[in-house]
Amino acid sequence: MAELTQNERRLLAVLEKEKKADAPHIAGLLGATPEAVVQWAHLLGDKGLAAVERIVVKEFTFTDEGKAYAQNGLPETQLLRFILPGTQLADLQKHEAFRIGFGQLRKKKLITVEGTQITKVQGASTDDDESALKKPTASDPRTKDLIKRGILQECETGRHVIAITPKGLELAKKGLDLREETGTLTREMILSGSWKTASLRRYDVTKIPKKTCPGKIHPYQRIIQEMREILLDMGFEELYGDIVQQSFWNFDALFQPQDHPAREMQDTFYLRETMPLPPVWEKVKAMHLSGGETSSTGWGGVWKEEKAEQCVLRTHTTSLSIQHLARNRNPPVKAFAVGRVYRRETIDTTHLAEFEQLEGIVMDEDVSFANLLGILREFYNRMGFTSVRFKPSYYPYTEPSLDAEVYIDGIGWIEMGGAGVFREEVTAPIGVDYPVLAWGLGVSRIAMLRLGLKDLRLLHKSDVAFLRETPSLRKAKGGI
Amino acid sequence: MAIITLPYKYLERLTRTNRKTILEKVPLIGSDIERLEEDHADVEFFPDRPDLFSPEGVARAMRGYLGIETGLPSYPVKPSGISFTIDPKLANIRPVLSAAVIRGVSFDDESIQSIMSLQESLHWAVGRGRSKVAIGIHDLDTVRPPFRYIASPRTRAFVPLDYTEWMSMEEILEKHPKGRDYAKIVKDFPLFPLIIDSHDHVLSFPPIINGERTRVTIDTKNILLDTTGTDRRAVSVAVNIICTAMAEAGATIESVEIEGAQTPTLAPAERTVSVKECSRLLGVDLTTSSMVELLKRMRFGAEPAGADRVKVKVPCYRADIMHDWDLFEDVGIAYGYDKLESLPPKTSTVGKPHPVQVVMVLAREAFTGLGYLEVMPFTLTSEEIMYARMQRPETKGVLHVMHPITIENTVVRTELLPLLLEFLTINRHRELPQRLFTIGDVVVDCRTHQQAAGVSTHPDADFSEAYASADAVLHELSVDYTVKESADPAFIDGRRGDIIVTGKRIGIFGEIHPAVLTAFELEHPVAAFEFDLRAVPGYPGP
Repeated sequence: MAELTQNERRLLAVLEKEKKADAPHIAGLLGATPEAVVQWAHLLGDKGLAAVERIVVKEFTFTDEGKAYAQNGLPETQLLRFILPGTQLADLQKHEAFRIGFGQLRKKKLITVEGTQITKVQGASTDDDESALKKPTASDPRTKDLIKRGILQECETGRHVIAITPKGLELAKKGLDLREETGTLTREMILSGSWKTASLRRYDVTKIPKKTCPGKIHPYQRIIQEMREILLDMGFEELYGDIVQQSFWNFDALFQPQDHPAREMQDTFYLRETMPLPPVWEKVKAMHLSGGETSSTGWGGVWKEEKAEQCVLRTHTTSLSIQHLARNRNPPVKAFAVGRVYRRETIDTTHLAEFEQLEGIVMDEDVSFANLLGILREFYNRMGFTSVRFKPSYYPYTEPSLDAEVYIDGIGWIEMGGAGVFREEVTAPIGVDYPVLAWGLGVSRIAMLRLGLKDLRLLHKSDVAFLRETPSLRKAKGGI
Repeated sequence: MAIITLPYKYLERLTRTNRKTILEKVPLIGSDIERLEEDHADVEFFPDRPDLFSPEGVARAMRGYLGIETGLPSYPVKPSGISFTIDPKLANIRPVLSAAVIRGVSFDDESIQSIMSLQESLHWAVGRGRSKVAIGIHDLDTVRPPFRYIASPRTRAFVPLDYTEWMSMEEILEKHPKGRDYAKIVKDFPLFPLIIDSHDHVLSFPPIINGERTRVTIDTKNILLDTTGTDRRAVSVAVNIICTAMAEAGATIESVEIEGAQTPTLAPAERTVSVKECSRLLGVDLTTSSMVELLKRMRFGAEPAGADRVKVKVPCYRADIMHDWDLFEDVGIAYGYDKLESLPPKTSTVGKPHPVQVVMVLAREAFTGLGYLEVMPFTLTSEEIMYARMQRPETKGVLHVMHPITIENTVVRTELLPLLLEFLTINRHRELPQRLFTIGDVVVDCRTHQQAAGVSTHPDADFSEAYASADAVLHELSVDYTVKESADPAFIDGRRGDIIVTGKRIGIFGEIHPAVLTAFELEHPVAAFEFDLRAVPGYPGP
């Protein structure tokens, strides 16, 4: 049972004594208005502690015309008194009550008219009508007739009668706390100890207060942090670095031929700036032209230093991985990076010119393609994707290459990322002698699925309402 | 993307099995099925495998993968007796020519369409939009050998394909649709490449357009293939792929003599590879014989060559086999990626977060503790947002993108505050107060560093709130700072402070200037601050 307010308790205490009483009466006892009492009584009624009954009473009052008749008698009564044996119609016509009274007398068949002679019927009396006028009752047809004649009028008045229920009585007998209520617990109350006797106003727990929003990180950031934590747990070192990269590290060192379509102006954001090439450039050039000292044929064609010097907004975080490898050539190296990458794409709901990429590399003496599958399976499992499969793919700087797909209930197999072993053409020039497993995935793809976004732009031009409403903990199922 | 149309009936006939088996297995050799139609499938193949850009090539690969016909396919070539000469003046224009004669073709409309689409796919994947390789296909019986590949005056005229009137080569570049598309490849040369026969009939103006005279029709029985370009290897590969595809369809291939050499030979290349190296790379135990069998299923010639060696014959159409590992990938594909075990790496390592990320995580914690909501704006923005609306001069060292896509993406951000104000604009209709922050990369002089910024807007937002919030975040990050009055025009004079660390200005806080608010269409005061995370102890040095 819901708790009672102080007013409800006070009412219940009165009812315990009165058992059943009119609202105005109780209002007098409580020093409140009858309307307030009725309202509290209804609240008690909702809890089964009191019963509120509205009693409707029909009352009859005289109209102005009726008031005069009440004093002097009905017109027919007055006329009847006037009629004596031998009374002529002409005499009667002089009486002020004639106009109404005569018709009534004839209608009620209390007189007979023979020529000009008026005669009372034997035992003619209007006593019943008079009593209907003085003591009207709803069931009396004469009363109804008087109402119709505009002599009496009927009006309804309601009154509330409040009675305590057995349940209410039982509760009241246990004793009710009738102390004054306090809204705020004050410092003074705490210090003085008056809180011990104070009654703090109760709140209705079903009423939702005005919403408040916590400060929190972006839901997309949360996904990035989740991925970072998984990779740190898996023993990876984190890389973070420059957005502006030299074409050399972004493309050439990754054995992307200089005439590769991905390097064209329409796919990459080029900058006017250039940077001097690192000393390793000659080895990279030799690899492009003829395969250097490996079993590779190289691309042949031409390789221009100017092209390699030009700066770009990095098109992948692989440019960070390759430089990390060039600086750390001793195994093992396990590293990852999450960072923004840039593609010169027309922006629409599923394509952005900048988006986050996650990338990991593992370099070690005896790592194999099978280890790459093992790492990917572990990562995706930890992300919540329990079904993972691999299929052949192509990336210019890995061989063998694969695409990882995960199964999502209700959607099916979704491509989640690409991976492969860095080509020897990539690792040999920078002096790395062991296989390098590399893999990447688009973070925004997972974010889009998880956050149920139809438009990728909302990750970056977010509606504050969306940020406020998205809970920190999502009920993730199967990674989504 | 190369999406290849595979008509079921033709594919079934060439592969010698049913479509269900083919479609089930074709993704396993490296492809994505795009669409299944009533009579054909559209399948995407990767750009490194132009030999799969025709139904004939796909059928050849699938016969091997399914074990119907394995090992090296052989393509006999006999000399046609036809010869070409090459004009030395082409050396700096378009020096490389290869050609072949393809006899006994039987075309219908569909198969003409098929070879045209192979030609177009090769132009894209191998030819780099015709600049590196351009392919011409002619009805051999309309012209008279020997042929000459010459550097011609630009005014020479002929009737180009799809036209009836004579046009000069210069006119073709201006008026013919193909001329306009590819003019940029040749327009700067004083002379244009041209292929003519012994009667001076024009076969082709590579890489632009063929002559109408040699148009291929359903009556064509014999084809002359010309392929020109700038890179010998790419040109040969294109010829090999077309010739072997036509041979798969039933034609016979004949070579032509160019500068004294017979071309094409369609002969395989040879590589001897190590079984152990392949096993180690893939992480599976292979024997010499199992590796030989797997290679044969991928249509390589393969035979054991000693204990650990396999001698591989690489078919002439496999342009992608540059390195031993390219063969090992094919071994892996034949073995089946689904059958490879997923093995955890053996070496134990310890994870380590990047110090910049550590600082950023702590900064986010401080902001969220103050009730700020994180946003993640784009890093590409415009001078209008970054500087004009802020009443600030352009930051020295801002990066301008050379070919922006839109006027909203012309520079890389140098500050974060303007982007937060833009966010408030986007969210004008949302409930106040709004407290937003962002932490992330900015780029100045090509170097990336990180900043943190916060804004608070509501009717009572003021200088004191900005000061208190900035102080709280800086305190949490142990930044020891002093403050002096600022001159930043984005803020109200007398209500702005520069954050100073060891004598250097590292940030700003205060009340945003009403003119800036108006520029961002904001109606309530904004308390704001921004600072450079390089001032945080623990931020890694340069």
